[in-house]
Amino acid sequence: MTNGVSVSTLPRPGSRVWLLMLPLLVWVATFVIAPTVLLFIYSFCQRDELGQVVFTFTADNYSRLFEAGMWMVFARSIIYAGATTFLCILVGYPVAYFIGRSPSTQRQILLMLVMVPFWSSFVVRAYAWCTILSDGGLLNGFLASLKIIAEPLNLLYTPTAVMLGLLYTYLPFMILPIYGSVEKLDTSMIEASMDLYASPWQTYWRVILPLTWPGVTAGILLVFVPAIGMFAVTDLLGGARVPLLGNVIQNQFVQARNWPFGSALGIVMLVMFLATYLLCSRRGVPSSN
Amino acid sequence: MKWISCLAVCLLLIASCDKGAKSITLLAWSEYVPQKVIDGFEKETGIKVHYDAIDNNEALVQKLLSGASKYDVIQPSEYIIEQLAKLNKLAVLDHSKLPNLKNIGSQYMDMPHDRGNKYSVPYMTGTVGIVVNTEKVKEPIHGYRDLFHPKYTKRIVVLNDAREMVSWALNCLGLDVNEINPRSLAKAKPILADWVRLIRVYDSDSPKTSLSNGDCDLGVVWSGEAAKLWEENQKFVYVLPEEGTHMFVDSLAIPVDAPDVDAAHQFINYCLRPEISKLISDEFPYTNPNLQARKLLSQKQLDNPASYPKGEAKLGTFRDIGKASSDVDALITNLKSQG
Amino acid sequence: MKDLRSNSNRLNLANVENGSPIKTKPLIPAGMARVHAILGVWTVAVLAFLYLPIVLLSVYSFNASKWASAWHGFTLDWYLQLPHNQALIDSLIHSLLVAIVTTLLATILGTMGAWVAHRYETRYQKFLDATLLLPVVMPEILMGVSLLIFFATIKMQLGYATLVISHTTFCFPFVLLAVKARLAGMDASLEEAAMDLGATPRAAFIRVILPYLRPAIVSGALMSFTLSLDELIISYFVAGPDRQTLPMKVFSLARTGQNATLNAVSTLLILGTCVFVAVITVLNRRSMQ
Repeated sequence: MTNGVSVSTLPRPGSRVWLLMLPLLVWVATFVIAPTVLLFIYSFCQRDELGQVVFTFTADNYSRLFEAGMWMVFARSIIYAGATTFLCILVGYPVAYFIGRSPSTQRQILLMLVMVPFWSSFVVRAYAWCTILSDGGLLNGFLASLKIIAEPLNLLYTPTAVMLGLLYTYLPFMILPIYGSVEKLDTSMIEASMDLYASPWQTYWRVILPLTWPGVTAGILLVFVPAIGMFAVTDLLGGARVPLLGNVIQNQFVQARNWPFGSALGIVMLVMFLATYLLCSRRGVPSSN
Repeated sequence: MKWISCLAVCLLLIASCDKGAKSITLLAWSEYVPQKVIDGFEKETGIKVHYDAIDNNEALVQKLLSGASKYDVIQPSEYIIEQLAKLNKLAVLDHSKLPNLKNIGSQYMDMPHDRGNKYSVPYMTGTVGIVVNTEKVKEPIHGYRDLFHPKYTKRIVVLNDAREMVSWALNCLGLDVNEINPRSLAKAKPILADWVRLIRVYDSDSPKTSLSNGDCDLGVVWSGEAAKLWEENQKFVYVLPEEGTHMFVDSLAIPVDAPDVDAAHQFINYCLRPEISKLISDEFPYTNPNLQARKLLSQKQLDNPASYPKGEAKLGTFRDIGKASSDVDALITNLKSQG
Repeated sequence: MKDLRSNSNRLNLANVENGSPIKTKPLIPAGMARVHAILGVWTVAVLAFLYLPIVLLSVYSFNASKWASAWHGFTLDWYLQLPHNQALIDSLIHSLLVAIVTTLLATILGTMGAWVAHRYETRYQKFLDATLLLPVVMPEILMGVSLLIFFATIKMQLGYATLVISHTTFCFPFVLLAVKARLAGMDASLEEAAMDLGATPRAAFIRVILPYLRPAIVSGALMSFTLSLDELIISYFVAGPDRQTLPMKVFSLARTGQNATLNAVSTLLILGTCVFVAVITVLNRRSMQ
């Protein structure tokens, strides 16, 4: 493979370039594009008695998407993921802004503090909430010892717990990209606005937010779609009771043995992903460059 | 070139890990085969056991048929055996290689799902029943109708298993749990829709956790889980539902494409030894069909009302329901989605 | 798809401290000082929210009681029992092996891709960029199920190989971006000078370019390693029978409520992540100097 880098002269785009690019392109074509195409094909197949896939064309999997139960899943997924995204912006934006505007050493430390949860396993972090929210858990124990409550509150396995878990899981994914654009923000723009007697709020609304919008859209992309597909957090904190799209997909592939239907749901998710993506990238363009 | 050789070594390392000594792959319910049994078998025969865990029968069939991995011994429940046998997915057992089969009680042999035990041998049997935390729930609970009552909203944990849930509703209606058709499902649907609103947790892996944590006070669980709760604290009472309930027969079987049929027989026969079967009972207090092993159990184990229930109850095994299983799945998926 | 990069700043984590020219102006305009102070308080609160569960988890991993939220005295038992938990050790070994090979493959693929993309501008640059980054922006659950279908279709046994392939697929873009960022800052004359002094292109690459790229390659590799080690969703679908990874084991422990063991494992995992993040940050800073 070392031969791959031996070029006789400096930049000389030609057929060799593609040869060099080949391993990577083949890799992506084989392990990303081909599987996605297969997913699409499977979504038009049928399952037999044993749950094996039969390659006979059917659109049943897609017509099943319009059943009442499925609509509820889509609606719930969008509401949960949307609320998670919104909360992440609400909670995360000020943090990102503060970090981006802090002096260098302080900023490095704060950034590290956000990076650790970003990189660490979300199962572990979601599980931490299980021990806190359980009826016999830390929070109830704490409240009971203060005599605030007589009976333990039902916290775990509720929609609130799921929301909290999602917010907790995805918050760093919102903070970091916003930080990225806050850091690039030119202070003179803010000063100019202030010189023109704009209030901090107006400055924020008219100057800062538009300039940092690319970061926010990046954050939305990193939070919204993954939140729809998340099944582990909803399983752990929701008691497998509040199904989001991810739970139903996982269930179709692992328990219900209906790969074709699962694939159709996967395609729906892919469409949602692309839609979010296009929406985000269009909104992101004006202020960059 | 250095990194190429590095990579080669790593790949070799991995390849060698995958091969090596003689081995069998076991597809079984999570933690249902005790480590001691596996260690003992490995030590005695030198055959390494790979344990692939699943947490429901559907996942078992899925993994078996996906063709992605080959298995030597699988652990399906009774109705799955019937289904797999019908489709020629199971190897016919060679009883001459299973001398320990004689230890199994006659009432657990030759059952409707596998006449003559052509394809399977019972591993453990058990029931699905109701656990009541009697410290929290003072009213008597006799069956599903008492349990699924609005006053217990969000205090109930149930098995995350579509077929089980539908069978509870059918039992309440006095219908045959093995007669599944659009009409019976339509009757079960409103009942299940009511129940779904009351349930707090779905968990097949370890329903006892939410009961012993105090997150739930009532549950419909496997008898073995109930037995463990009872061992932990006798406030957890096990009730066999008066409407009738499922007696499951978790069995061992060999897939038709098993790589090592001989070793598979060896493993099954090993599990049928009284002293080995006792080890399984020690960790999983289900009803042991191995009568010789039962003789080795302590009085305390035999007295556990969840493992060896006294008195009469309407028990029935599940039969293969063929294509209807996807209707059962769809019904429960839809109800849960709306809940 | 065109500005995929600006929209996924997560990808730019490698150079998250990059791109900010030396600031001569104050970061906080005069009128904003009070706002900044309020944001500071908020940031501290959010960081507390991010860390409190983790800290509680770690503290309770030393609790003598197995279940209760009450403190029953200090113990190291749970940690001491870990080495005896064979299933856990096995899953750790699987995870490490997969992470090591993944890191190697991802580093090679990523570095190669970055080099070629840097050296040879082609008409299809944007298309190439988008394709190569697809694995990162694609929701994990979609990658998981589509790869599962793919492996089942080509009848590939699930095991180490499928895990390594899947992990490499989402890891290499991280290396690619890290290396590309470093290359962007490279003086083109560096290579020319080497060649002028009589070095063959291969020697120039090995002797001059690679050492220059080393910090970026190492930080990309560390990122791959951490990502692979913490990955759950994709592994959940493509891990074979006896190749459960550590996060999968943690997930199943969480589902079966084995609190004490889990607290200890989680604490160790978080600690490990902290170390890696620290090393990556230090390397990044060096690579940007």
